[in-house]
Amino acid sequence: MGFHFVKRDNCPLWKRCLFYLIAVVAALGIGALVLLSIGVDPFEYYYQMFTMGTVNNRIAYKTFMNYFKELVPLVLTSVALSLAFKMRFWNIGGEGQFIVGAISAAFVAFKLGPVMPMWLTLVVMCLAAMIVAGLYGLLAGFLKVRFGTNETLMTLMLNYIALYILFFIGETKADWNFFLSENSARPVFKSFTDLASFTSIPMGEKFELNICVVLTVVIGALIFVYLRHTKQGYEISVVGDSMGTAKYAGMKVNWIILRTVFLSAALIGLAAAFKVGTAGVLSTSITNDVGWTGIIVAWLAQLNTVMIFVVSMLICVLQHGSTVAAATFGQVDSSFANMLQGIILFLVLAADFFIRFRIVIVKKGGSNNG
Amino acid sequence: MKRIIALFLAALMVFALAACGAKNDNADKNDDAGKTEASDFKVGAIYINSKNDTAGYTFAHHNGITTAMKELGLDVDKQLFIVDEVPEDKEQVLAAIDTLVGKGVNIIFGISFGYIDAMEEAAGEYEDVIFSHATGYKSNETNFNNYFGRAYQARYLAGIAAGLKSLEIGNNNVGYVAAYGTEYAETASGINGFALGVQAVNPDATVYVKNLGAWADEVNESAFAKELIESYNCGVISQHCDSAQPQIAAQNAGVYGCGYNSDMTKDAPEAHLTAAIWHWNVYYATAMQAAMDCGSADKFVSTMGSSAYYGGLKEEFVDVSPLSENCVEGTDKAIEAVRKLMVDGEWDVFSGVKLTVTADGVVTKTDAALVDNAGNEIVAAGGESVEDSVITGTMNYFVAGVKEA
Repeated sequence: MGFHFVKRDNCPLWKRCLFYLIAVVAALGIGALVLLSIGVDPFEYYYQMFTMGTVNNRIAYKTFMNYFKELVPLVLTSVALSLAFKMRFWNIGGEGQFIVGAISAAFVAFKLGPVMPMWLTLVVMCLAAMIVAGLYGLLAGFLKVRFGTNETLMTLMLNYIALYILFFIGETKADWNFFLSENSARPVFKSFTDLASFTSIPMGEKFELNICVVLTVVIGALIFVYLRHTKQGYEISVVGDSMGTAKYAGMKVNWIILRTVFLSAALIGLAAAFKVGTAGVLSTSITNDVGWTGIIVAWLAQLNTVMIFVVSMLICVLQHGSTVAAATFGQVDSSFANMLQGIILFLVLAADFFIRFRIVIVKKGGSNNG
Repeated sequence: MKRIIALFLAALMVFALAACGAKNDNADKNDDAGKTEASDFKVGAIYINSKNDTAGYTFAHHNGITTAMKELGLDVDKQLFIVDEVPEDKEQVLAAIDTLVGKGVNIIFGISFGYIDAMEEAAGEYEDVIFSHATGYKSNETNFNNYFGRAYQARYLAGIAAGLKSLEIGNNNVGYVAAYGTEYAETASGINGFALGVQAVNPDATVYVKNLGAWADEVNESAFAKELIESYNCGVISQHCDSAQPQIAAQNAGVYGCGYNSDMTKDAPEAHLTAAIWHWNVYYATAMQAAMDCGSADKFVSTMGSSAYYGGLKEEFVDVSPLSENCVEGTDKAIEAVRKLMVDGEWDVFSGVKLTVTADGVVTKTDAALVDNAGNEIVAAGGESVEDSVITGTMNYFVAGVKEA
């Protein structure tokens, strides 16, 4: 007896949904067992998690505002990564591109904020973040097309270079370092909320919708159209399917790679500008791991722009809800919340595998060494 | 596909409506001026590391909060809400505060320095909640204070134990593995307090400081201790860092040491003398009691009497751990005599009066200027102690007798 995997040609929608549902239910089941073993009521925990603690909460509107703050950078980063992934360019450098974008945006806010109207500052922040992050990504793209280096390793290592630059800025008190507050004896990032801050649209009594949410939806729609209905979008998918075909069809493959990598990294820079322009301050944890989570989101959504929005929304419920639920139970720390997220993601990825492949059991007949 | 998205959005809208309907439920809860009943009191905390840590900074605070709650008859399982592993990122701290306020807590303790701006902003936004920030310097007159302790006093006492040991083993070189040096007043004041304690019994001693550049770095904590022992010939190793690695290194090399944060005799039984320790529960119990007594959050600071709590040996907020058998005979008498001076408020470490202490507990006061290691006079002979704001905020020098290694 043996088995092997056979690629499924077409998995019907209802079957796909069923697989995902089974995966999530199984993950929650495992989580429930672990919760029970440490003496936590799993129903209460999951109730808190899925409602994000908004029931009987006098500041529930805040939860939703914080939810969107977490969502915007994740969606944009995932969309950006999907551009590169479609071309089979494995951009693992979302973290680094986000960080250099954030530093550039903050630079603009400090240097140009005092002399320019706020709206212009914000526009320049976005542009600066996009250009710098785009160039940072382009570095790995250039090395790939010129020298054939591995972009996975390059972008990965560039993450740490960016991160340590940020640490250096955050920990070095010096006259040149305008990123830090002058008023504190200890190094602390200086706030620039008064110089640059994205406005919010009041909705209802207290809830305010940050303008970045609207912009993100618009950008998502544009990317959707770009990938589906433009020549450039078509080129990306041809390069992703087969570099040889693309070359044979007369496409300038290197140019397409460089252009797409720049766009991918630039969008991540824009995500960083949105984040910085909302927070009004840098921090060494500014990315909130979107460069990593974005990879998972892009993969789970199978690089489909619409699905990226859906998956991001669900992942953010999971992340935000876990924090709220963990706050209620002494035994559950945020590591446990991370572990539960891990189980869910792992099983969903497993379901994904069974959607793409099916197991065929084969009898080993007529073996020679019997 | 469209149907799924539509369904999902519908579900989200249901959520949003449910949430809007639920707000303002308990908005009028705290408007009576009387005390808050212990059973209604809820405590919130924001930690930098995991609440399930078994050692280190977050553990010390968590232990302090839970101990204080038990002392006051509060139920840790039902009345304590914690968001842990919150990095020093303003948005993430604000989100953690929103989560805790949403749980209906009366007071929020933030234990990490970098939470400072978020806590200041939130204190203005949520006037009915008390905010209390460890190691910070910001506050307001109503619902926002900061707290820290005179660790330098405990370090002075530990310095006496170390100094007596250095006399006994006839080695004037004392080592100190520090997270930071003069960059932070917290580390500088600790090093200076310790060095002055050593000099009170051994005026010829030199304290060599190795700067880690990080609050926790177990590998270098051990390596730097080794270097101090081997290259600088140090016979006693003190520390300002998270783990017991320097003490373990001291034990392996057959020398002695003074720990920090917890009684490290259990980690290095043959080397450890005594450790400067914190009793965070002393502050937490004081603050929680005040928060319950004051009735409304805006009276918290006036109930506490000050917007900055800075307890020392007198409040038993800081102390030295029980002296181990490795200590020189008479160490206890010497320490008790000096402790009494500080508890009674007769003398303090960073003043123009120098103590000379002998092993049998005889303390002699002499007027002598406090001088830094570059020769600048900080306090004139006989002068008053430096301001608390200097000790907590701007002390950026080492006293004479301290050398950077």
